[in-house]
Amino acid sequence: MKLVLPPRVGPKAFDGALTAFAGVVGKEWVMAGDADRDAYSDIYAPGPADQWPASAAVAPGSVEEVQAIVRLANQHTIPLWPVSRGKNLGYGTAAPRMAGSVVLDLGRMNRIIDIDARLATCVLEPGVSFFDLYEAVQREKLPLWLSVPGNAWGSVLGNAFEHGIGYTPYGLHARNLCGFEVVLPDGDLVRTGMGAMSGNHAWHLHPMSFGPTFDLAFTQSSLGVVTRAGLWMQPAPAASLELVFDIPNEDDIGWVIDTIAPLKIAGTIDQNVFVPSWLGKMVLKGQRHDFWDKPGAIPEWRVKELLAQYKLGYWQVALRLYGEEPVIRAKADVVRAAMARHLSAPPAEHWWHAGDPMNAMDTTMGVPSAAPLQMSDWVGGRGAHMGFSPVVPATAEHVMGQLKRSRAIIAAHDVDFYASFTIGGRFATNINMLMYDRDQPDQVANMKRLFSALIGETAKAGYGEYRTHLGWMDTVMDTYDFNNHALRRLNEKIKDALDPNGILAPGKQGVWPSAMRDQAKAGRV
Amino acid sequence: MMRRVARWALGAALLAPAALVLADPPPLPPYQMRAPAPAGNRLSPGRDGKALFENHCGYCHLAAGMGTNLLVKQRLAAGAGPATALLANRDDLTAAYVHAVVRMGKGAMPPQTRVDVTDSELDSVATYLGRGK
Repeated sequence: MKLVLPPRVGPKAFDGALTAFAGVVGKEWVMAGDADRDAYSDIYAPGPADQWPASAAVAPGSVEEVQAIVRLANQHTIPLWPVSRGKNLGYGTAAPRMAGSVVLDLGRMNRIIDIDARLATCVLEPGVSFFDLYEAVQREKLPLWLSVPGNAWGSVLGNAFEHGIGYTPYGLHARNLCGFEVVLPDGDLVRTGMGAMSGNHAWHLHPMSFGPTFDLAFTQSSLGVVTRAGLWMQPAPAASLELVFDIPNEDDIGWVIDTIAPLKIAGTIDQNVFVPSWLGKMVLKGQRHDFWDKPGAIPEWRVKELLAQYKLGYWQVALRLYGEEPVIRAKADVVRAAMARHLSAPPAEHWWHAGDPMNAMDTTMGVPSAAPLQMSDWVGGRGAHMGFSPVVPATAEHVMGQLKRSRAIIAAHDVDFYASFTIGGRFATNINMLMYDRDQPDQVANMKRLFSALIGETAKAGYGEYRTHLGWMDTVMDTYDFNNHALRRLNEKIKDALDPNGILAPGKQGVWPSAMRDQAKAGRV
Repeated sequence: MMRRVARWALGAALLAPAALVLADPPPLPPYQMRAPAPAGNRLSPGRDGKALFENHCGYCHLAAGMGTNLLVKQRLAAGAGPATALLANRDDLTAAYVHAVVRMGKGAMPPQTRVDVTDSELDSVATYLGRGK
């Protein structure tokens, strides 16, 4: 990776800053070689990774070191791009929004500070991975479950900070956060919620502060570096029942949503229900060329053949109930009866009881796995993916509208359609996976046009993305346009007040500090 | 555990027709716990390579991991047994190759940062995977 220095910082000043950083963390934890810059690049970048180049990375090992680095960054006007473990795959990985930023890698801060099995909480540093937490719970045989995302290679807190989702009753991960410790852009240290009182015992139990509650203002945010946070966990259930419904046709998604969302809102179903389209199953069976050997999207007739050959529905609902067995049985009767109004085939049913083994990929039971990333291998080559992720109301008309709109745009760009709707209750998160080979420039260019078209058309229809890749952060922030972009203006006012030098994550989520706003045009796709 | 993993990999192979399409994926094995990170300074040489491999590479390279799953297909295509999809079962890896892949990436595998795996840790892992060669 070519070396791009931070704005208005010359080579000598840059070296001086790195030397100062090394004085805090030790020279081994300041990483500024060519291979280091490559390792912190966006491995799934749509196009050349050097559109979002880090100049170096620094890895503090404690909150005091984070404070010292942030203070030095102000002195040397070096922009920092904090990452928890840097595995934000599909959204930019560890790469910074602004060229020349130094990645502040918190991966060394990986202490599990506390796990409280009685009240089902834990307190983590940002470097703790889902695997680390899962294994700590297993080793201690604690009656707790995790909620994991599709890619569990990354950080528990980092995923929650980016508003990631999982597929258990605790699947809205940012909602599980409770009580933060944050290094502010001037190096000051603050604790949110009840933790604002020294020695308070309810820091990670009561989710609000005395006065305004700032916790979520530090998520998808450039206002601070979170160095620890509390997280609520799911008490391990006595039993669980999986009901698997194959849903035959594309348009069936309407009644599926109208059947499941009310049950979720009412609490009969407490899980985030994941409803993937057929390609979600095919990516685990082989590569694209095993099923269709031409470059354009797999045609409808071939899709129909594949669904018949592999006995797949267009959608699959693998719904899971959790709790005491008699309660699950009663809930399952309600779910079966509701689905039977539209679907004659009964579900496949799989019981699990405490003590039974779990398989290594069961995300609905909180088992961490990186295997869903295999979808990147679908197109072959240096496979990659991006997720287009708008949020829609969980009703048939909104979901069908979104499906038809994105389906038409994706078809017009001749790309395979792989969508999922995750029913979170009153809303559904629609993730459209766009898979491509990074070494095929035509494919990459087409994917970029497609992504921009999806954002624009979806916003015109009244829906926004909950998260996006670095290259579209400004574009998506532009879609939140009420009252002349009042939300962005508010963000910028707060940003400038807390971070006058603009050294913390400039450009994150389309929020630019005054000091770096001249850089905002670069790095947009 | 190793026998169970080998059986799973073999099951995947038997179900894979010539085009390497997994018609019906075999039952998955249970989650395989990684070894805890061995004690000691991450920058010091000589820590246990096997434990370091499991702890740092085990996200993808133990049973049913992403890397193992992708390598089943690659190993079958190369005419090798599916059990060799587990890197710990390979007898043809060299320390230099392990170094190169970890730092430069390979296919779907991204390059690993020196926070993911320090240079000292990589030396230990490379010695373990390239043992005797």
